[in-house]
Amino acid sequence: MYSLLPLLSLIVPFSIGILHLLLYPFWFLESFFKKIEKIALLSGTSLTLITVLSMVPYILAGGESARLEVPQLSLYANSTNIAGVVGVALIFFLASIYNVKAEKGGRLKPNMYNFFLLLFLCCMLGLLLSHDLFGIYLFVELTVGVSVILVAHNPSKLSTEAAFKYLIITAVSALFVLLGVLIIFILTGSSNLFAIINDTNIQTRLIENPLFLMLAVACFIIGLGADIGLIPFHGWLPDVFPGSSIIINGFFCAEPIALILALYKLVYPFYRIYPSNAIIAMMIGAGLVSMVSGALLAYPQRNFYRMLAYCSIDEFGHAVFALGLLTSSMSFITGQFYLVNSALMKTGMILSLGSVFFNTGTGNMDLLGGLFGKMKKTALSYIICALSLTGVPPLSGFYAKWLLYNAAYKFLLDLGGILVAVLALIFLVCISMISFIFLIRSFHRIFMGQTAENMQKVNEVHLTMWLPTAVLAATSILLGLQPNILLSLIGAA
Amino acid sequence: METIVVVALTISTFATLCGVFVKTTRQIIRLLSIQAAAIGLVELMFCLINLLTGLGFEGLIDFSATFAEWFASAAVSPLIIYWGMVKTENMSDKPVVSVRRGGILLIAIIVSNIILCIFTSSFLPAKIDALPFVALMFSLSVFITATQVDPLKILVGLNMAENSLYPLFAESPLVLIPFMLGLMIFVNVVGVFIITEAYRDYGTMSIKKWRWTD
Repeated sequence: MYSLLPLLSLIVPFSIGILHLLLYPFWFLESFFKKIEKIALLSGTSLTLITVLSMVPYILAGGESARLEVPQLSLYANSTNIAGVVGVALIFFLASIYNVKAEKGGRLKPNMYNFFLLLFLCCMLGLLLSHDLFGIYLFVELTVGVSVILVAHNPSKLSTEAAFKYLIITAVSALFVLLGVLIIFILTGSSNLFAIINDTNIQTRLIENPLFLMLAVACFIIGLGADIGLIPFHGWLPDVFPGSSIIINGFFCAEPIALILALYKLVYPFYRIYPSNAIIAMMIGAGLVSMVSGALLAYPQRNFYRMLAYCSIDEFGHAVFALGLLTSSMSFITGQFYLVNSALMKTGMILSLGSVFFNTGTGNMDLLGGLFGKMKKTALSYIICALSLTGVPPLSGFYAKWLLYNAAYKFLLDLGGILVAVLALIFLVCISMISFIFLIRSFHRIFMGQTAENMQKVNEVHLTMWLPTAVLAATSILLGLQPNILLSLIGAA
Repeated sequence: METIVVVALTISTFATLCGVFVKTTRQIIRLLSIQAAAIGLVELMFCLINLLTGLGFEGLIDFSATFAEWFASAAVSPLIIYWGMVKTENMSDKPVVSVRRGGILLIAIIVSNIILCIFTSSFLPAKIDALPFVALMFSLSVFITATQVDPLKILVGLNMAENSLYPLFAESPLVLIPFMLGLMIFVNVVGVFIITEAYRDYGTMSIKKWRWTD
């Protein structure tokens, strides 16, 4: 169905962002703007959330075939991307509530800061809604560019080195995405993904050049893999988390939803045209290496931000692994459920730890301890989100892991028999156990035990800082008890 | 591939190769400008000839787009980086790898690209026959990015890598060119902004000294 809603969900944050930018030359309004900057950002993200939510009833009513589209711009909202779109808008809305007290200023002036945050939101929604190869490339590069600026916003020394590393790795990787896009476009003459899937002439041209098709797919996996932070292109991620301000880390939690679903959107159509096992091997391989290395590297970290960075790599690995089981019908549903759930839970954890950093000024877990009695709401939100992420029932993460194990078991049963399938399941459970151990250990180190002398005056953070984390913890319980809420958005209920 | 295109691509590849060996930031910015100018000049001339012979509106749009693309990569991007150099310093240094090791790596890159060229020449579609040049220039640019300690030189390497995709990029739809150019300039401005901020924080242009410990 033709609808302007997908376009409107990009226009709303972009135009509000432009309004902020237009205020930049009016220096005499700066003092006035400082008073309303946080409310202005909150209104921008809430309007975007409302616009995004207004698409949901149409898609729920129409089922799998429902599609809101602006074909001239190749913008489509359907059951394959609406959960991601809602997830991104929700994370931004909650993080902008947190932003009210957490943001203390930095290198960017308030109106520029708001402009870049809203542009960041617009880019991620564009990345999710666009089904044009060039559109995807433009949104990927813009997302990366904007996120680099947001990392550099933090006035601390750590941020510039992290931002530069991030810029170079992800800008080179974006060129791989461009190379892949150009190869496909030159071979087919089309950049619309639906046209590529449905047009037999285009498919014939691609099948006649399998080597170039595989080269393009490899470029997409390398390029977007580096942007996401998959191993071995993860070098920037453990520096960016401690280098960014506490609130920017919260906004960043939405980024993998857009980037990982973009990766799937770029890989799956070409797998359908040329079903090579090498494509599955590349996706599953990237996922497996990331989940194993991420979990093992997260364990020994002393800084909780670095621990969460490696934990994120582990989670990205799980999502890419699930999406990489391309022959399985459950793959996309599992991957999407896992991705959206882990992004929400990670936001809860990062914002909770941000509150700890806000109050104590350190991310070193050796210097922390005994904060449970002083920051009960934050501590409870953290542990609920952490338990959900590791798959403890009855939280939402349990359902995500359950779907993942089911999909992996069925895929491996067909591929290598029952022994391989069972061994793989044991292996996946072991990885989850490692995550469980280091996350529980981090809770113990930060919140339990004796309170250090310099932490005696620490109090619970302001309502606007604990409320978003409590909402995310509640979401985890709700989705654990009623996973159909998220599954119906994905079109699998 | 026409001879003039081969010549232009050879000049730009040579400029990229020289980028590996130069010492100062100013020199590498000049090389970036030469590489970008050479790589886009042939396409620009074709568009100019089309415009002069056809005198059509379509030809004018084509020429304007190609000129904008050529001007942005050969003049605007180098000038942005040059501005970064003015705000910081014209650093003179050597790559992090030794001459011997660097030489071996360069030979390996060139030989592997020649093998790739021979291997793919039989079935390379006509529209992407410049792919071997693209691959070589791209590899050399990534080599520059990976082996320099001056962040501005690293940024130049990134621009050279982006320019190396130009022969393929010329095939892309016209409507995308303003967005692509905007992005290219945006990334350079962001890069220079971060470098100047880091220079202010650390007081040095060597990224080796930007390391921090927790």
